Amino acid sequence: MKNKARGWQVITEWLAANDRKPFAFQEEAWEHYLQGRSGLVNAPTGYGKTFSLFLAVVIDWINKHPKDYQQKTKNGLQMMWITPLRALAKDIARAMEEVLQELNMSWQVGIRSGDTPIATRQQQKKQMPEILIITPESLHLLMGQKEYAKVFTHLTTVVADEWHELLGSKRGVMVELGLSRLRGLAKKAGRPPLKVWGISATIGNLEEALDVLLGAPDPEAVIVRAKLGKKIELQSILPDEIEKYPWAGHLGTRLLYKALPVIMNSQTTLIFTNVRSQTEIWYQEILRQCPELAGAIALHHGSIDAELRVWVEEALHTGVLKAVVCTSSLDLGVDFRPVDTVIQVGSPKGVARFLQRAGRSGHQPGATSKIWFLPTHSLELVEAAALKAAMEEQLVESRMPVLLAFDVLLQYLMTLGISDGFHAPEIWEEVTSTFCFRDMTEDEWGWILSFLSTGGEALYSYDEFKKLEREGDFFICRSRMLAMRHRLHIGTIVSDAMLKVKFMSGGFIGMIEEWFVARLQPGDAFSLGGRTLEFAMIKDMTVLVRKSNAKRAIVPSWMGGRLPLSANLGKILRRTYTEALSGQSDMPEIQILQPLFDLQEQLSHIPKDNELLIEMIHTRDGYHMFVYPFEGRLVHEVMAALLAYRISKRQPITFSMAMNDYGFELLSDQPIPVSDGDVHDLFSLENLSNDLQASVNSTEMARRKFRDIAVIAGLIFQGYPGKHKASRHLQSSASLLFNVFRDYDPQNLLLRQAFNEAFFYQMEEARLRESLERIYNSDIIITEPEALTPFCFPIKVDSLREELTSEKLEDRIKKMRPQI
Amino acid sequence: MEEVIYRHQDQTWHLSAHRAIFWQEEQALIVSDLHLGKSAHFRKAGIAVPANIGQDDLYRLQLLITAYNPSQIIIVGDMFHSRENNDVPYFKLWRQQFAHIRFKLVKGNHDILPATTYEALNLEVFDTLIIRNIHFIHEPCSEEDAAGYTFSGHLHPGIVVAGAGRQRLRLPCFYFGRHCSILPAFGRFTGLATLEPEEDEAVFVIAENSVLKVN
Repeated sequence: MKNKARGWQVITEWLAANDRKPFAFQEEAWEHYLQGRSGLVNAPTGYGKTFSLFLAVVIDWINKHPKDYQQKTKNGLQMMWITPLRALAKDIARAMEEVLQELNMSWQVGIRSGDTPIATRQQQKKQMPEILIITPESLHLLMGQKEYAKVFTHLTTVVADEWHELLGSKRGVMVELGLSRLRGLAKKAGRPPLKVWGISATIGNLEEALDVLLGAPDPEAVIVRAKLGKKIELQSILPDEIEKYPWAGHLGTRLLYKALPVIMNSQTTLIFTNVRSQTEIWYQEILRQCPELAGAIALHHGSIDAELRVWVEEALHTGVLKAVVCTSSLDLGVDFRPVDTVIQVGSPKGVARFLQRAGRSGHQPGATSKIWFLPTHSLELVEAAALKAAMEEQLVESRMPVLLAFDVLLQYLMTLGISDGFHAPEIWEEVTSTFCFRDMTEDEWGWILSFLSTGGEALYSYDEFKKLEREGDFFICRSRMLAMRHRLHIGTIVSDAMLKVKFMSGGFIGMIEEWFVARLQPGDAFSLGGRTLEFAMIKDMTVLVRKSNAKRAIVPSWMGGRLPLSANLGKILRRTYTEALSGQSDMPEIQILQPLFDLQEQLSHIPKDNELLIEMIHTRDGYHMFVYPFEGRLVHEVMAALLAYRISKRQPITFSMAMNDYGFELLSDQPIPVSDGDVHDLFSLENLSNDLQASVNSTEMARRKFRDIAVIAGLIFQGYPGKHKASRHLQSSASLLFNVFRDYDPQNLLLRQAFNEAFFYQMEEARLRESLERIYNSDIIITEPEALTPFCFPIKVDSLREELTSEKLEDRIKKMRPQI
Repeated sequence: MEEVIYRHQDQTWHLSAHRAIFWQEEQALIVSDLHLGKSAHFRKAGIAVPANIGQDDLYRLQLLITAYNPSQIIIVGDMFHSRENNDVPYFKLWRQQFAHIRFKLVKGNHDILPATTYEALNLEVFDTLIIRNIHFIHEPCSEEDAAGYTFSGHLHPGIVVAGAGRQRLRLPCFYFGRHCSILPAFGRFTGLATLEPEEDEAVFVIAENSVLKVN
């Protein structure tokens, strides 16, 4: 019946006129949409996922206005399209506009993001386009405007694009909260329920992803799967002599000479690295080794100027670039057709991400995507082998949704406070209908409201706290100053305070983390956006620099870059190691490593499937204990803290800890009291919960998590651009706030959130129990190698360390010297 | 609470783990960078830090006054964090307990209250205070600019100590340089700036309840 409706006919005819016909999954999505359902479309990039929902909305509109669908203008906002990346908005808008134009429809497509000019915003305020492409932050900003509800009176549909990317992040929570308000508004006005759709790449928990989007399981909701098999081929770039390839701590540039022919023989190559600093180094190294590529290669990461990013993206479309060195900033989004080759430098840390990156090449349906893996150190080749296995078995990891993110809730309530204010019972209903906050207690809600209205304290005469005013159950912000500050603050869901970098003579270069700048002295050279810059000074929250000719420049390392290996890949990695170590693998990546494994066996031991290897090594640095559970970084972080805590109960001792995806290290200045006889006890399940709590409390893990939380919850004031004076005397660091809360307000909910994030929420306790049990029941082999082994080396050089101690501070200081 | 007695510039200094110095010859208690009213200032701006930090700082000052019974208190700048707020009247009340003790404030960059307010609080205000050849001045100045040996604050000094096993600690400290000494920040709602002392300069760290010489 639907097939005969006008809209369907118009669209299929239009497609046919262009020699195209809809994919089965697109028709399926249209069908469900027209029945009024919500759901999730699971499709890879490059197969018309946008059309599966955008055209559904158009069909519906034509059905409802068969005679005048082309003429009708100023219809109000019909569909909101939420995208995680500003950079994607333009391309999506362009694709939609083309279709609307060909259909002779007068619908408008607008973009709303941090980059949208003020004039456009004001225009939108007068007349909203029918389709608005928006980031989660900008959605919240819309809700921070007076009479924001009017904007949404005609809204029928919200689409969350790249939902797998938002899910599992606090920006996903922003979407959940935004949707809860939109649903509430529709309900209050007696409008039909909102249709909410997600678009997601393949992840392990698609059903849960749908539940998070909808807030609660909806029996009517559907998952539409594209079922388009995309062939992916992985090939590793192997060093000529594995014996001479670094064991650790390298950037992969040593293999650049073998990657250059791959770049030269391709039309356009995307080179993915894991951290932004590596991007900078690769970019410069390519230019050094291959100067003729100047002008034909570019850099793309989240910290460079938006204009430059846009230029790179345009240049990718037109095919004028030979190669782009990038981070996850180019993971998502529309296709760059000229891209035919992808090189992954170092471990991608997850199957889903790897598949997505591989998918950036070879876009024609049916074509094979080819991805090259370039190891940054020898043992990473095992990961390449594990990735191959995972792809073969189609094992893809899950994205865990964020729970009880009170920091985001505080920010959201303030947003409602600065627009029209809110009635607490109404918002409580909406908020607790989200997946994130469904388990929030009334006590916690009460704490949140009092944190915003009385600053968390009982009212007393001396206190001058000012944020939201309370009138019965109605909360509103009446200070224009606070409202303005909050508007500037929304969207600061970032890992650290970012400062703008500008030339002394003017001209924006990019953004940089405050902590990095704090280490610079005037005159120091650093590189950003492929340029070498000399630091001059910080003024008005802006880093002023000059051009530099320095040969050596410090490369900023961005904190956000360290990605943990996902659980699924960890499991396959362990199996791959078992196969590799038993000499059973026929993969070239593994075979080339044989000399390294031989050395490991000679110096120490190669653990078998039912064994756990522990190496005790004494070096100039102190006494090391290396443990290899092969469980992935997140588990190792907690397990290291747990072991350190349990050993520290035996005697006063201090540890510094480091970990990677296959093992961890405890390092001390004194011999570590562990022997064959008592080592099993360290992995016991007895008293586990208490020991875990105590070990997390005695490390800095929670403090690090608190940094994000303090920023999001609005405790760290980043100042306004160019308005230094107003922020006078309001600067403080997250670390200082953490101390102050810990000492003066230990019950603070945000502190508790930091502990939970450091721990329970990052990994399931069940998974830790499982691995502890496995280890407890396995043979634990302790070796005492004379020298550092190939296994331990990558862990030892890791400089990001956690500390745990049971010694008295005074006793520790007596053994130390000032660091100069 | 523990203290360490240190002879320097021919005078006797009691370094208290409460982040203060008692100058024996002058019967003077010396503190710096209290930043009173800082949490109130933040709260007024909608940043909900705990409200009682300032009161707690004053309570610690009270303990020190009771312990050393000084005849004067020298504040080496940044006594109040910002503009007037309700921590100022609180201080006024608190001050009345010690009406007989002279409070000498060496003005710091944060001390922006009007002169009448300081007067009302019974504080004597100085740009530089000189007692027995010791110059008290808020911001440490370079050797050339100094008229004599100086005591300063402003920096909130801290020091990094390191040991075997890649261990590292960052702690607040008292710093006694060749031409200038720097006091730790007294207020607890303050951060740390890391100093790098020369070989022959004395540094005492504050480790919870004790004071330890590390350099």
